[in-house]
Amino acid sequence: MNRSLIILIGALALGGAIFAGSFFAARHATVLCCENPNDDLSWLQNEFHLDAAELARIRTLHEGYLPQCGAICAQIAARKQELAALVGNSTNLTAAAQAKLAEIAALRQQCQSNMLQHFVAVSQAMPPAQGERYLAEMKRLTLESHEQMEQSMSPETSHEHHH
Amino acid sequence: MNTDDPQLSGLLRQARAVPDLPPRFAQQVWQRIEADEAAAAPTSWLDALASWILRPRFAVAGIALLLLSGILAGTMSGREISRHEAQQNYLASVAPHSAR
Repeated sequence: MNRSLIILIGALALGGAIFAGSFFAARHATVLCCENPNDDLSWLQNEFHLDAAELARIRTLHEGYLPQCGAICAQIAARKQELAALVGNSTNLTAAAQAKLAEIAALRQQCQSNMLQHFVAVSQAMPPAQGERYLAEMKRLTLESHEQMEQSMSPETSHEHHH
Repeated sequence: MNTDDPQLSGLLRQARAVPDLPPRFAQQVWQRIEADEAAAAPTSWLDALASWILRPRFAVAGIALLLLSGILAGTMSGREISRHEAQQNYLASVAPHSAR
């Protein structure tokens, strides 16, 4: 093979290895350095530039909200188990199973309502501009993904549903 | 005859004549170097590129550039990964899947 070609291929391989090596090393180091998995609120602090006082207010709200949320989630999990037992091997949906579904839906609605109230309370504990941005971001992350799925399945938007 | 006499050896060294360089000696040397380089000039673009890459100044600059750009891109990517993971941690704590 041509000597110049070997030099070029070798230079390209060496360059690629240098770039990849420094890229992965820097990425790994940054992830290790910036990661704070023990604090749920680290994202809020960095993303919305909160000072210590604002973060302390939000932490109080957060710690007050978590037990409420956890209690409802536990109730939902228990109702789901009951529903699974009711449905069992049955081939039709009984009235009891339907009632259980309604209970689960009501609990989910309560959970969602609490969550939105918490988002509003947290947004009010932030500077106004950041609070607005936080609320929009949380709405996008929690509600809009669900809306997109519903919209994609609705007959008006879906081209696959013809009635 | 004693050839190991240090005094005689010293005198002989001092007596050795150092010829003067011909006029424009340095210029002629550079002209010959340039002529040799011109004769060995790469014949194709591939040879030209290879010889360019092998120049120490270019090689060092290239390695430094690749290292810096790799570190910069890796840091940006790492920050984005950390940010996403922190966001997911927060979201998991405040918005259970049943509420989304």
